[in-house]
Amino acid sequence: MSAAALETARVWLVVVLTLLGLFFTLVSMTGVLRLPDVYSRAHTASQADTLGAGFGLAAVALTVGVAGGGFKSVLLLFFIFLTNPTAAHAIARAAFEEGIVPWTEGDDRR
Amino acid sequence: MADADSPSDGGDGSTDSTASTEPATGDAAGEPPTAGAVIVPVEPTSTLRSTIAHVADAAATGGAPAIHLVEIASWRNGDPESDERAAAAERVLERAAAWTAADLDDSEAPGAAAVEVVTAVTGAGDYLFGADDYVRVLAEYAEANDADRVVLDPEYTPVGNTTLLQPLEFALSNTSLSVETAPVDRPTRRERFRTEASAVRLVALFGLSLGFYFLLGDPTYWFDAVTGVATAAVVSITLSRVSLDSNPAIPRTPMRIARGLVYIPVLLFEIFKANVVVARVILDPRLPIEPTMNRMRVIVGSGLPLMTLANSITLTPGTLTVRARDSDLYVHSLLPWAREGLFDGSLERWTRFVYYGRRSARLPTPRERDDVAILQGDDATEELPIAAVDGGEPGSVSGSEPSDDLTDADEVTDR
Repeated sequence: MSAAALETARVWLVVVLTLLGLFFTLVSMTGVLRLPDVYSRAHTASQADTLGAGFGLAAVALTVGVAGGGFKSVLLLFFIFLTNPTAAHAIARAAFEEGIVPWTEGDDRR
Repeated sequence: MADADSPSDGGDGSTDSTASTEPATGDAAGEPPTAGAVIVPVEPTSTLRSTIAHVADAAATGGAPAIHLVEIASWRNGDPESDERAAAAERVLERAAAWTAADLDDSEAPGAAAVEVVTAVTGAGDYLFGADDYVRVLAEYAEANDADRVVLDPEYTPVGNTTLLQPLEFALSNTSLSVETAPVDRPTRRERFRTEASAVRLVALFGLSLGFYFLLGDPTYWFDAVTGVATAAVVSITLSRVSLDSNPAIPRTPMRIARGLVYIPVLLFEIFKANVVVARVILDPRLPIEPTMNRMRVIVGSGLPLMTLANSITLTPGTLTVRARDSDLYVHSLLPWAREGLFDGSLERWTRFVYYGRRSARLPTPRERDDVAILQGDDATEELPIAAVDGGEPGSVSGSEPSDDLTDADEVTDR
């Protein structure tokens, strides 16, 4: 009885986590389309995505469980947390060294 | 720290200002008679011995009043282990001084007896990052000790594995000091002085990669065990010098990992909080962003601590580390809220907590230290170090104002 209730809670948690992941990925995409320049796009491309992937991987871990190797998705998250900011930094740094001036308020570029 | 004031014979001190300009880039043999003292930055390298032999010879024939053997501290006083590292530096300096004295004794040149040998540790008050920092320390020391010449050991590498020699030479050539790299034979195979150190790293990296392999595979299955050992061996042999820049030590490394585990939930919470704020801004139809570029001088060591801090800043939405130049981080912020959070320095304190412990984490915020600058917009306090070449469209900040900080802009394009 309580095992079934636990199972239901798990399924709902997976659904909620997946939706949260989708939401933050959607926000990330919107940001890439709406924001004005390479720097602010690098922000959102890496960041909202970190949480999007984070919730998605949490849902995966919960679905497959500990026996199914759920800790591997935790490891994946760990690597995303290392590589994601590094990639964002590389993009922004390349832009900076190219001499691209960040967009500020009042700038015509958009 | 051991330190001597100006050389004993003050008569020479007055002439060194004229002499300093003449030997532009000192020749190998040291034939121009230099009147100022010579500075030798010391690190335990394989060519230190022959560098000292060369310097002693040149000083004896050239009539330099003193040889200053200087160890530029790559640690910062008050950090854990700073005492041990200072003691190690003193031992190296002692040995170098003994070598110098012996060489001077052996020298036939008449000036040899007059040459004074001074040792000093300097630069321990700050974290030093690139060549510019080292040159600043050297120049200050030279100023205080009437020295006008620097002789570099060709193997001189004060920070980790990276060679600083060429940047150092370049930066020194912009000062009034004359620079010379000691013309000594470098071993064709680079043998590192601290060989016992790399054994520790090798074992540590082997254990780490083997542990990771077994985490993914099954250590009880013979095939996984054999391939795991082989893989870990390849990884540790090829990468131990690249991936670890200091030795794992027993109380320190586990403590850092434990404190890192404390930091992870804190960072996750920060990421979540900032993500919600940024998501709201992005979905807002008016898109109320106020992006600016900012500069923040951080007090963390170079290498892993700096990487941790820079990546933490990038992971936190609204702030993006664009450039790390020595201890200056150039951070792009999307919102004033994110910028203020950055200037409050909580991530910097947490990074210091992870790497140096709780006591070191107590320090004033970057804003209180006056280590922050906004580089764009109405509140800009500093020029953006970008030469506006093609990005300078009407309305952009550095396009409308003349850049008076040309050296900074040059540096950006140079690297």
